[in-house]
Amino acid sequence: MSLFGSLQVSASGMAAERTRAELLVENMANAETTRTPEGGPYRRKDVVFSSEPQSSPFSAVFQTEVGTGVTVSDVITDARDPIKKYMPGHPDADANGYVAFPNMNPAEDMVDLLNSQRSYAANVAAISSVKDMISRSIDIMRT
Amino acid sequence: MLNGVTSDLERYMDLLSARQKLVASNIANADTPGYKTQDIDFQFEFATLAQGESPQTIQPEGLKEKPDGNNVNVDREARLLAENQMRFNLASVLVKDQLKTVQEAIQGGGAS
Repeated sequence: MSLFGSLQVSASGMAAERTRAELLVENMANAETTRTPEGGPYRRKDVVFSSEPQSSPFSAVFQTEVGTGVTVSDVITDARDPIKKYMPGHPDADANGYVAFPNMNPAEDMVDLLNSQRSYAANVAAISSVKDMISRSIDIMRT
Repeated sequence: MLNGVTSDLERYMDLLSARQKLVASNIANADTPGYKTQDIDFQFEFATLAQGESPQTIQPEGLKEKPDGNNVNVDREARLLAENQMRFNLASVLVKDQLKTVQEAIQGGGAS
């Protein structure tokens, strides 16, 4: 049934956008973090999306499906050099009195977050539309 | 099915749901680098597709490609989403009407 497959495709889009939003929020929360378990300042993270055919054990039996969902294939860590600020009193300062802070642009993260929110909403709109189509199909049976 | 018109409507609705799934894929992949918009040639498939066969997907031309190789136009997909939904609703009303006619015939004309 193609219509139920559409729900799965849109749900994969929502899940991917949610993961992206979570990482962006994490980035903004850690904009001033100078200590991490890996050592050094926090580094900005971002997602890599890739398209993926949606399949379930059930649909494999009726393998006639078209359409692909989306998945987060990788989480990348920003390689930009940290910003050095002169703060001699800071416990994480180096020998010259400089502290490494995450190299982050809040505007960049905010714009990405807005983008993610809009994409999430677009997937929700697709789900409501398909839901309406499914309920119309069910209505045919109630003549 | 009951007659030619109803089976045509059934095929029409099948194609609309296949197309709606492609629209959902396009929206889900609006931020996927390198993804190309997928669609079906609706009129061609409606004229040639046999019962139970799945339609061929095409990549529509004339869409502007972003620097990351993605060419999904969300406005186009929003339009298609709404259009497919309305077409499907219309078809479902028509099928329902056909079934109602048959039911009336069975019950002897409106004496339900």
